[in-house]
Amino acid sequence: MNRVSRRASAVFLLIAILVGGLGFFLYEYFTLADQWVVSAGSPHIYNSTNIGCGQVVDRSGLMLLDLTATRVYAENETVRKATLHWLGDREGRISAPAVSTYAKEMTGYDMVNGLYSYGNAAGQAVLTLSSEIQKTALEALGDRKGTIGVYNYKTGEILCAVTSPVYDPDQVPDIEGDTTDRYEGIYLNRFTQSTYVPGSIFKAVTTAAALECVPDIQEMTFKCSGVYAYGKDKVTCATAHGKQSLKTAMANSCNCAYAQIVEKIGKENMIRYVEQFQVMESVKFDGITTAQGNYDVTNAAAVQLAWSGIGQHTDLVNPCRFMTFMGAIAGGGKAAEPYVVSQVSLEEEITYTAETTETLRIMSAETAEILQTYMRNNVQTVYGTGNFPGLTVCAKSGTSQLGGDEKDNAMFAGFVTDEQYPLAFIVVVEHGGFGSSTCVPILSKVLASCKAVLDAA
Amino acid sequence: MEQFSEALQWFAQAKDTYINVYIGILRYLIPALSVLLLWRCFKPLLWFKREPEIWAWLYLNDGTKYAITHWENVIGRHKSSDVCIDFPTVSRNHAVLTRYDDGSWTITDANSKSGILVNGKPVSICALEAEDVITVGGIDMTLMPITARQEQLMSQLRTKAGNGFDTVANMLLLTLMQCLLCLAFMLGGKIEHFPYILMGFGGIAICQWLLLIFYALIRRSAFELETVAFFLSTLGMAVITTIAPTETVKQLIALGIGLLTFMLVGWSLRDLERAKKFRYLATAMGIGFLVITLLFGQEYHGAKNWLLIGGFTIQPSELSKLCFVYAGASTMDRLMNKRNLILFIGYSVVICGFLALMNDFGTALIFFVAFLVIAYLRSGSVGTIGLACTSLGFAGVIAIKIAPHALRRFAIWRHIWEDPYDLGFQQTRAIMCIASGGLFGLGAGRGRLKNVFAADSDLAFASLSEEWGLVMGVLAVFCIVAIAVFAIRTAVLARSSFYIIGACTAAGIMLTQAILNCLGTVDVLPLTGVTFPFLSNGGSSMICAWGLLAFIKAADTRQNASFAVRLTGNRKEERPDE
Repeated sequence: MNRVSRRASAVFLLIAILVGGLGFFLYEYFTLADQWVVSAGSPHIYNSTNIGCGQVVDRSGLMLLDLTATRVYAENETVRKATLHWLGDREGRISAPAVSTYAKEMTGYDMVNGLYSYGNAAGQAVLTLSSEIQKTALEALGDRKGTIGVYNYKTGEILCAVTSPVYDPDQVPDIEGDTTDRYEGIYLNRFTQSTYVPGSIFKAVTTAAALECVPDIQEMTFKCSGVYAYGKDKVTCATAHGKQSLKTAMANSCNCAYAQIVEKIGKENMIRYVEQFQVMESVKFDGITTAQGNYDVTNAAAVQLAWSGIGQHTDLVNPCRFMTFMGAIAGGGKAAEPYVVSQVSLEEEITYTAETTETLRIMSAETAEILQTYMRNNVQTVYGTGNFPGLTVCAKSGTSQLGGDEKDNAMFAGFVTDEQYPLAFIVVVEHGGFGSSTCVPILSKVLASCKAVLDAA
Repeated sequence: MEQFSEALQWFAQAKDTYINVYIGILRYLIPALSVLLLWRCFKPLLWFKREPEIWAWLYLNDGTKYAITHWENVIGRHKSSDVCIDFPTVSRNHAVLTRYDDGSWTITDANSKSGILVNGKPVSICALEAEDVITVGGIDMTLMPITARQEQLMSQLRTKAGNGFDTVANMLLLTLMQCLLCLAFMLGGKIEHFPYILMGFGGIAICQWLLLIFYALIRRSAFELETVAFFLSTLGMAVITTIAPTETVKQLIALGIGLLTFMLVGWSLRDLERAKKFRYLATAMGIGFLVITLLFGQEYHGAKNWLLIGGFTIQPSELSKLCFVYAGASTMDRLMNKRNLILFIGYSVVICGFLALMNDFGTALIFFVAFLVIAYLRSGSVGTIGLACTSLGFAGVIAIKIAPHALRRFAIWRHIWEDPYDLGFQQTRAIMCIASGGLFGLGAGRGRLKNVFAADSDLAFASLSEEWGLVMGVLAVFCIVAIAVFAIRTAVLARSSFYIIGACTAAGIMLTQAILNCLGTVDVLPLTGVTFPFLSNGGSSMICAWGLLAFIKAADTRQNASFAVRLTGNRKEERPDE
């Protein structure tokens, strides 16, 4: 009997496994639980991949999304449409990581109480977006596809970021069954997730590179006869611009002059400065990583290099990144990084406040200043200051060719230099045709709306 | 009247407020009450004073005397013998002294070299009369069984297990918890679920008081193990109420059947001779259950282990577990016989084959651990190698046969976060919900794990933790640990090795289930879909858990502790005390 009862102690081994395993789990719990809670699919936090708790309001406090009981969107239909891509849809097809990133702050998670809160108190996230501007921007875009972004380059707040096409989450159309291409890429937030052929707005990059590395570039002149030939290949302009300086070449968007400017800069420097200006890099904010751009001239021939400096060749830029680049020019060589969530609170307690972070200095203050005057000159001589009353707008238009029979994309990027309106912007209208004529009327409305919102604050 | 309706209206309007306040209080109150209750139960289970029963005295001719403290005692030279006689002519395991229910004694030769003599005659097995002289390896000795009077005295001297006051206090505490939980679910629940909620918690309360009254009637006073089991059942009811409120009654019926099984198994073990007879029946039934399942079973989720009878689904493999404990348990005189061990190994191999055919990985693992526990307890030096080989074969067959089913689970093990929407779905949801609940839970009915498959059975640990806090989850695990520690501690005092093996195997099975359920849920081990004893939703599992508890009760020899152990001092006088 003694023998058998002594062997009974073997059962302690199983106890050790159970207690040890539980101990291991508790260790994991105390070190990782805060990550588990906000992991993808967490039943108390997300509705599929999007936030499923709390409330989201715009910069003026207008309710955009209420998740306390069910998923209730804004009252106004256009506002619902214009903010859908920042909030996510009911089915989880549109990924909206910005608010989800602050799930922990919204729910007030802590190790002891978990997600418990008295009476299921809901957190609130405040977006930097203005539903007023969003509405104006989406209406201005109409049923054209594209994106518009405006942000404050001093603070980083994104005031406007719309994408089109959109749909009303309260009246979901039959997207799967649609045979036209009007819903193409509808689940995509084009502002953050798309890349576009930049076209002539890229000349701002080339100009900055030239100012940085080619001495006396401002004194040089370039001849444009409408064609600049490289053997069989050529770079063309719509008309012969004649004698061009860097400044006038930019205003006239003279391809032939830019082909010569790119030659002066050289391939190595083009690569170097595109890298230094960070125009191809992702912007990271609020859990969002924007799409990466593309600038690849490693095997490019001279004519391809020339086209790359004009924003064609294989160039691709992300709208949000290019807007930030515009901000850096306006900010004298550096700007604030954009963000979209300004504050998160739970009951009375503020659990998150956005802080302005600056980009690295990407160009010298002198280069930025000269570019500002050039781009101001573009508006004064070409786009018309009358389109932007009360605002000192500097800009560059682009008409990016997509090849084949596709109608050109209309692009427009720039900034406002007024002290009280530190705004950088980008407008993309897919297949919109001529850059300035398509985008300027849209931008005119959007910037006026921005001005009104900033004035009111 | 008007004032009354006004008050009623105010009450209705303030509903949210008082629900919130109630939930806010309850999340601390329930763990506090649980800790108090479990502390009161664990203390006697873990720290009870081990007072051996003395059944006889063995006098050697040199004047030394040995106290015989079990019903089965090995006499031999080996240090771990119950009566250790360090003399060269005595074999390492020489003989076994066995006491029977009626108080008679027998000596059996355990294949010793020199054999045994009773009154000078060589015997292999011999019933002992008073003053018979036993000769073991040339040493004479006399067995003096205690008299009925001495037995009575002993029962009076030994400390009584538990006391009525503490037990009733514990029961009141548990009943209070059941009321609080019931109210919590009713406040937040739907009116159509009220009868189910009331019946669920109320039913457990009635069962526990009935059992307590029954114990009082038969003069048994230890109720700690039962309290722990009812406590776990109550938590299980809370999990079921939130996840599948209409199934509470089903679970309650299972609890009732479980209690009957508890009684039946306990009764069968109470008399060792009866227990041995039951053993044959159980051995046959163990195989029978598996055969029936194989023939008529339904396959759900890859394992063919369900039987549909009159609208009820039962899992016969759960009941088979119980039978396996019977089959594995054995008395000392048989343990000395190699043939018995080989028979048991053969039996295990057959069981293993059936399980392989059923594709039930979780159950196979539990049987395997049970087998290891039994094998270790039974085997001396003899069978170790054979046992090891059988174990290996056992594991091998499981691995090969169930590979595709099991491999999927093993592949995702410790990688659940890489595939949270498919293979890691259950565990990631479970872990996220545990984290969401924090240490004190989200409150009754506020869990969201309910949408995940098997949330109230395979993931019961997580469901419990989500609504009532990780503290409660840990306490549930500690309940099983306490039961097991008690089984180990009490094994030393058990009257027969039959009870030691039974209790330890039962504890081993409960532990294995807790290990696989709890650690599987939280991805420390692969998820195998095993129930947590008493806690998980599942009738067959509940019945099996109560049956296993009876085996532990049968080893509990504390005075007046267990209905599965005959009271000492009750023996009828067969002849007048001289």
